[in-house]
Amino acid sequence: MRAAIAIVKKDLRMEFRSKESILAMWIFSLLIFVIFNFTFEVSRLVMLEIAPGLLWVAFVFSGMFGLNHSFALEKENGNLRAMALMPVDGGQIYVGKFLSVTLIMLMFEALIFPVFIIFYDLQLSLQTFKLIPVLLGGTIGFTSLGTILSAVAVHTRNQQILLSLLLWPLVSPIIIWSVTLTGMVLGGEITASFYPLLTRVVAFDVIFFTLSYMLFDFILED
Amino acid sequence: MAIPALQIKDVSKDFGRIIALRGINLSVDPGEFVSILGRNGAGKTTLLNIISGVSQPSEGSVELFGSDPSDRQNKAKLAVISHEMFLYDNLTAMENLEYYSRIYNVPDSAVRVEQVLRDIELTHRRFDLVSTYSRGMTQRLTIARALLHEPALLLLDEPFTGLDQHAIGMLINLLRKQREKGRTILLTTHDLHTAKELSDRFIILEKHRIVKDGMMADTDPDKIRNEFFSASTAGVEV
Repeated sequence: MRAAIAIVKKDLRMEFRSKESILAMWIFSLLIFVIFNFTFEVSRLVMLEIAPGLLWVAFVFSGMFGLNHSFALEKENGNLRAMALMPVDGGQIYVGKFLSVTLIMLMFEALIFPVFIIFYDLQLSLQTFKLIPVLLGGTIGFTSLGTILSAVAVHTRNQQILLSLLLWPLVSPIIIWSVTLTGMVLGGEITASFYPLLTRVVAFDVIFFTLSYMLFDFILED
Repeated sequence: MAIPALQIKDVSKDFGRIIALRGINLSVDPGEFVSILGRNGAGKTTLLNIISGVSQPSEGSVELFGSDPSDRQNKAKLAVISHEMFLYDNLTAMENLEYYSRIYNVPDSAVRVEQVLRDIELTHRRFDLVSTYSRGMTQRLTIARALLHEPALLLLDEPFTGLDQHAIGMLINLLRKQREKGRTILLTTHDLHTAKELSDRFIILEKHRIVKDGMMADTDPDKIRNEFFSASTAGVEV
């Protein structure tokens, strides 16, 4: 895992130096919350219905930016080719990129979630902590697929369009499940379907992480 | 008999309908310095990509010190220097080299990083971001990055492009030192005189095939220019 750790350190060092991804993701999400909060005059009950979807819209759109930015940095100066020349397994390179994208996204989520709570006047309780596995599971599913598809898309001229086209259909199930689970937690109505659905999210994460780990070597080749 | 550093047998490469290489056969001994000459589009870069294992040949086989170059563990034996820097602008020279030394598992990495920085005369700028470097300084750092793990085979794809005279002189000196250390070097260049100065042997690629394979000592660069890259030929770059 030496190479994976080196990639994570390098990516986080560059991110903390420029703050480019986190800042852009945070501002973008803030805009979404502001626009929805002030444009639609809805009752608290309706707001509770739409808030989980809104939260994940912010996460996913900002996450797309983070994914594009992460691989744009690798394309710069031919660093993607340098990765293909590294004497390490492609899986290690995948793990490094996956971890750095996931950590950056989780940091952004931690920074934007309090803003979301304030804007939509949501009540926090002990039950809110059940959001942690939901956010983790949903984010890991999104980034495990997003990392490998970004590596595919970065070779093309229309990187951002291609990434959207490839990622959306595949990532839809996990986003729908995550929105449902977030709704249950925020609405205080955790039903019997909560844990089976969470297990499904974890299964999705494991399947797509493993597949991406095994296939990453082929993507680095010309 | 010693294992060749590089053994290419009947290699061809196509990109769809586009032919890049045809029937390439080449054997390079350890410690040999070979210049690959040819016009733009002759297939020089494609050949280097196949040798480095980044690209697979459509036909034929390549062996690097007796094993498959696409095998990840073999990649530690080689380094590529091209017009692409393989550096991160938003990291300092030191951070870039530390990153690559971890990736290549360089022993005594701190000492080695200091040593390569001294070799390329960039010690005084080691804590500056690469984005603040001139083209020549960046290329010197690119060379340091490539030599960090002491590769047995150096692949240089037109490394002199865009360099000032000082940087060219420094690169030539560095390459001489690498040759003295017994490293195998493959260089693609348009500069026949530099190729003559540095290499033991040359090959000429024309229309995706090797049309000439000879020893530099017996060759007059101007004769090669007249024979293969005459001014009457359209698109001549040499």
